[in-house]
Amino acid sequence: MVNIEGRLRKIADEIRLETFKVITEAGGGHFGGSLSIVEILTVLYFLKMKVDPSRPGDESRDMFVLSKGHGGPALYTTLAKRGFFSYNELYDGLDKPLSRFPKHVDRNMLESIELSTGPLGQGLSMACGIAISLKQQKKVNMVYVVLSDGELDSGQVWEAAMSAAKYKLDNIIAIVDRNNSQIDGPVEEVMPTDPLDKKWEAFGWEVFKADGHSIGSIIAAIDSAKIKNSQPKIIIANTVKGFGVSFMENSSEWHSGKVDEEQYKLGLKELQRRLNTC
Amino acid sequence: MSGFNLIQTKEAYGETLLELGTSNPDIFVVEADLMKASGSKQFMLKFPDRHINVGVAEQNLVSIAAGLAVMGRIPFACTMSNFLSQRACDQVFLGAAYNALNVKLVGCYSGLSQGKNGGTHISLMDFAIMRILPKMKVIAPSDIRELKEVLVTVSKDTGPTYIHLPRSLPENIFDSSYIFKINNAYVRGDGADLTIICNGLTTFIAFRAQEALEKENINARVLHIPTIKPADRKLIIRCAIETGAILTVENHSTCGGLGGLISEIVTEEFPVPVFRIGINNQFGLTADLEFQLQYFGISIENIQAKARELINFKNKIGQRRKELKYYG
Repeated sequence: MVNIEGRLRKIADEIRLETFKVITEAGGGHFGGSLSIVEILTVLYFLKMKVDPSRPGDESRDMFVLSKGHGGPALYTTLAKRGFFSYNELYDGLDKPLSRFPKHVDRNMLESIELSTGPLGQGLSMACGIAISLKQQKKVNMVYVVLSDGELDSGQVWEAAMSAAKYKLDNIIAIVDRNNSQIDGPVEEVMPTDPLDKKWEAFGWEVFKADGHSIGSIIAAIDSAKIKNSQPKIIIANTVKGFGVSFMENSSEWHSGKVDEEQYKLGLKELQRRLNTC
Repeated sequence: MSGFNLIQTKEAYGETLLELGTSNPDIFVVEADLMKASGSKQFMLKFPDRHINVGVAEQNLVSIAAGLAVMGRIPFACTMSNFLSQRACDQVFLGAAYNALNVKLVGCYSGLSQGKNGGTHISLMDFAIMRILPKMKVIAPSDIRELKEVLVTVSKDTGPTYIHLPRSLPENIFDSSYIFKINNAYVRGDGADLTIICNGLTTFIAFRAQEALEKENINARVLHIPTIKPADRKLIIRCAIETGAILTVENHSTCGGLGGLISEIVTEEFPVPVFRIGINNQFGLTADLEFQLQYFGISIENIQAKARELINFKNKIGQRRKELKYYG
């Protein structure tokens, strides 16, 4: 277990560094919410999800919906690291006109993206549709969805939550990137969502918690969540917006932004140091 | 409706979906607590694992349908056309159109056929909203037989599609040789005085108006356009060229729907005057369908009156052109 954790820790730190670099290269973007989901994506794509980079459309694959579509850069970097396409292509393409890598992930551009998202609140419903189809055909593929905590303000998320419970979609594992920060400020100021765990339980979900930056904690939560009991599952992953870059951490200012040269150097130094101490 | 023998569409909708679902295990039905309106109860009883009801949650309805389509299923997602095109507009935009998914959206009780549910429920903008979306096909069948053909055809076609479905339609108004095909329009008659363009609930009224106009020696051609998008541009332009005047009639706002479409096409290909009958910058009423159609001028008498006006206008333009040519 320690070896697996160590290996994934290193991968996550590489992904984090590349994410920071590629967003900067693109002229800026959604740093905060990309850096907060790196460990989650690492565990999913390098351990828990059944995927095959050489066959992205394979019918037996697990499905992933990035409901918080603005986390695109982190997902792209993870997919590149996993072998779906090259880093070079990503660096050349992120946010460039007519490229395959718009900042909000796009199904029309890449086979490894299941759904275009970006307008918040819709991904969980779409995941329910996928899960219903799988259940109806008695297929065992899992459906993973990553949502932001700000996104939980959206009514449609709760419509989807009710449907998931009604149709006993225990093949869905949703993960909330709970970084406590949204565009206009801290979640507790803009639109408080506590008690989040009790809300999801009231909607019929089984709730798990994880340290969103601990590989071991995420693995344990997913393992528990995979035990089938007719309930859809949600992991509330406590994360830090902008994790790993000191001036970005916990700051709504870095939901989306552009780094200057000094900031870039500092961010690189911090993330490289983190990688080196792995 | 007096003089018009209209039949509720839900029976045909429900029966056809049941047939489709029996022969194709990928057909799904998604409802938002309006199974009684749409008619899909028989489908639910026979295929409960392929019938999803999300309750009063239209945004969820559309997005769940999108998820089903990702998996290669063929979802027919139905709710009232106002909720589908207005409340769930962003979900239609993202889930169906932007993601280019094989979602079949059915807006029932469309336009004035909401009747006494009233202005809060009457959608007069579904053509406008849906036809603007890239990749979306928009279809408005005009009788029960065509509705069944539309459903079968659409189930075999690929891509996001919106079907404008009035609460009731006449049973059979086309000759037996007519077969619905996406993109094709249907011409009745070869009159050269004007073209009356219609679809959905207005086609049977346009046919009656055509007959009435013939008695006063006005030879109108009727062009039924069931597919607003992709529209049969060639036939529309040919009618513009051969008749020189167009009168559109729609169960919709006069802004952005069928009239808007025709105006856009002819002005850039062969400009002719286009008069539009529909609901002009007003909300719907709380009244039965017959009353509302009459009130908003979607009637035989008003089509006749507008046709006369249009022909006068066409002639004045013709005369003016001659004058200008004389002085030019």
